[in-house]
Amino acid sequence: MLDWRFWFVAPMVLALGIVVLFPSGYLVWMSLTHWLVTDPNVYFDGIGNFRVLFRSAEFSSAIGVTAIYLVASTAAMLAFSLGLALAFRSPRTPGALRSIVIMPLVIPPVVAGFTWRFLMNGEMGFIGAFLLPEIGIRTNMLADPTGAMISIVIADVWSRAPFMFLIFLAALQSIPRDYYEAIRLDGANRLQEFLHVTLPMIRPAIVVALLFRVIDALNTFELIYVMTKGGPGRATQTLSLFGWKTAFQNFDFGLAAALGVVMVVVTTVCASIVYRRFLRAPA
Amino acid sequence: MTAADEPKGPLSVRLARGLFTLFALAFVLLPIAWLALGSLKTRNEALALPPQLFFTPSFEAYTAIVSKGFLGAFGNSLTIALTNVVLTLLLGTPAAFALARMSGKVQDNLSFWVISIRMAPLFSVILPLYVLFKGLGLLDTKIAVSLAHLTLTLPLAVWMLLTYFRSIPEELDQAAMLDGASHLQILTKIVVPIARPMLASVAIVVFIFSWNEFLLAFILTARGAQTVPVAVASLAGTMSFDWPLIAAVSICSMIPALIFVGFAQRHIVAGLASGAVK
Repeated sequence: MLDWRFWFVAPMVLALGIVVLFPSGYLVWMSLTHWLVTDPNVYFDGIGNFRVLFRSAEFSSAIGVTAIYLVASTAAMLAFSLGLALAFRSPRTPGALRSIVIMPLVIPPVVAGFTWRFLMNGEMGFIGAFLLPEIGIRTNMLADPTGAMISIVIADVWSRAPFMFLIFLAALQSIPRDYYEAIRLDGANRLQEFLHVTLPMIRPAIVVALLFRVIDALNTFELIYVMTKGGPGRATQTLSLFGWKTAFQNFDFGLAAALGVVMVVVTTVCASIVYRRFLRAPA
Repeated sequence: MTAADEPKGPLSVRLARGLFTLFALAFVLLPIAWLALGSLKTRNEALALPPQLFFTPSFEAYTAIVSKGFLGAFGNSLTIALTNVVLTLLLGTPAAFALARMSGKVQDNLSFWVISIRMAPLFSVILPLYVLFKGLGLLDTKIAVSLAHLTLTLPLAVWMLLTYFRSIPEELDQAAMLDGASHLQILTKIVVPIARPMLASVAIVVFIFSWNEFLLAFILTARGAQTVPVAVASLAGTMSFDWPLIAAVSICSMIPALIFVGFAQRHIVAGLASGAVK
């Protein structure tokens, strides 16, 4: 059935095919080859790369770091943006306040990363060398493994929370006022209101926000790259940084491709579960 | 207006809300103020602690953007982002319209395919794209970066437009069909004019995405087609930590986004939220 819809969709499918589908197929092929840029011999190697990958200590450390970063940054971001949305939900909140709070949305993450790196710097940063020592914390944030992770989480919340805030704000503002009046008549207090009205009503928005967040976190590269380059040691080296290092510093394209395949499988499984259950477009 | 809670409530709630708002404002504004002030300082002033709040502003860093040849990066970013916007809208608008007028399994699977691309880890696309563009001799060209950005912007645009096009009643199409219009005419003469505000906000979101994107631009370019974020990153990699210059380039890199968002903030916020929630 070649009706008009086919011709309308075909160019997009073709374009995405060239920039996504072809590369994905090629990625699988690359992952099965011995492919070192520094070595002229490129040959089929079966699952050799996967074997190396799963045995490598750097891979398991990257998985651990990614998990910690994912959970810590998501929890902090969720708390901050939900708090902000609750504080700003009233239509009487001045528009200027809202505009200020979403400003980081348009600031490139590279710039956000640099600014926070400078602020946290232990010798000349406003926070790292001035504010923190004033309150008795003398750790050099970016040189300390835990401090570096905390700094990255702070910068990440700063840079990405506005998006989550907008999703929550839209959800909160669509809750009918009667619901609150009804539960108030029953004598509920603020906490009960939140637990029995607000939270259930914005549950779908939270699920969507979390889905976007998880994907975003797995893709985070530039923020960590400019702040710590994965250091100190491997303390902040997530899977994306590990992949970049493998491909463009150690020039092991085969191993990096194997890592790419593993990452695709994991995200596709997670995304399709969430999509089928929560995101399916209304017919 | 269905907006919920009035901001009254017991004193403790109001106090907590006020304190949290203050904290959030300080948190959000500190880095922005730091950048803006830093760009107007000299290098020594910028590194001084405690920070100098009163100083004679110097525009040296801004003139250095021109004299040190960073205008090229701004030109590259502009060309790449605009090319990407045009390609995204040309490919995405008809596709989203057709998807909005489909139903059943095909539509479901196609939509899922498109959204799943938005969710695929970027890193897995970069490596093969790098090899592909290298083979085609397109490394370090603007067109390579524009094309690569389609992987991010095309699914985003289709998703935002799909939700919107569904809200345009199909009776409109049928009425036009009775008058003998083709589907292409329906799209260009009826749907696009109705959707103009939405298309504008999609264009802006796509522009900002492409303008801010780092990883693809970083790996696919060297000196020739370097974009602004890549230039900022390379600046801080240098030995001399020239904070005023970094700050000035950063401030300038926000200008297009701030202009656009200022123009169409309401549409963008609504579009982002609907694209995300529905």
